[in-house]
Amino acid sequence: MNHSVRRLTRCAVLTALALAISVCEGLVPLTVLIPLPGLRLGLANLVTVYALCILSSREALAILVSRCLLSALVGGNLTALAFSLTGGVFALLTMWALLHFRGFSLFGVCIAGAAAHNAGQILAAIAVLGSPAIAVYLAPLLLASVATGAVTGAASILLVRRIPRPADRKS
Amino acid sequence: MRSSAAERTRPTFWDALVVLAVLAAAGSLLFLFRPRSGNFLTARIVLDHELVAEIELTALTGPVTLEVPGAPYPITVEAEPGRIRIAHSGCPNQDCVHTGWVSRSGGQIVCLPNRLVISVSGSNAPEVDGITG
Repeated sequence: MNHSVRRLTRCAVLTALALAISVCEGLVPLTVLIPLPGLRLGLANLVTVYALCILSSREALAILVSRCLLSALVGGNLTALAFSLTGGVFALLTMWALLHFRGFSLFGVCIAGAAAHNAGQILAAIAVLGSPAIAVYLAPLLLASVATGAVTGAASILLVRRIPRPADRKS
Repeated sequence: MRSSAAERTRPTFWDALVVLAVLAAAGSLLFLFRPRSGNFLTARIVLDHELVAEIELTALTGPVTLEVPGAPYPITVEAEPGRIRIAHSGCPNQDCVHTGWVSRSGGQIVCLPNRLVISVSGSNAPEVDGITG
């Protein structure tokens, strides 16, 4: 198969997977247990981590942006797009930077990514509201991100180790 | 990109530093938004950057309800002496209703879909304008 077609297919499959994960996560919101706006497990971030580790940062960004656009279409919420996109890009940049350092494991990378996602979301909300009032939610969100980041970190370690790497780099 | 981080299965010392940094950031934010002193409470209701109403909570004698005009989703604010909440909202996520009563200075209620912020601020003495005006 053509190299670029294979890449495109892989990105498309991962985008569909990320979209499905984020829709499923929306069906069972964590906010039922802990009423904190913007709180979620961030399982769709797993796809970003996988793409960053196994594919390339460019493909990870393409998957992230398509996922955010599609989930805004599915959910029909344009304000949510601003939050998920800002948060997602913040998380991606942070994780991309941390993956370049040697000392970290995917636990640290995912926790930093989750924290960056929350910070990005809150910054977008401050811009939308024109008031720093919403930053009161950032402290509890950051505390929660240590837990959610550890969960997604553990899951991503399994994911990156167990799923066979694509072989097309050789072909 | 092949990263050494992807090969590890156990958290490292640097991961602990990340956790510490996040906790420190959360702690400093908590300190920044700590409840302030002040027993004369005023609630400002701001819809989409514009001040809709200002309610002196301490000066109230009975419950007051307010339908915020112009909100994208119908929203009802309920104020009682010394506290305020969003009683009903037509917004999809209902985070603002779940926030419940706010009765301390520095407290906030946010309804993101409505772009509505209620912030409660306090001062130690009622402002003179508040009494005569």
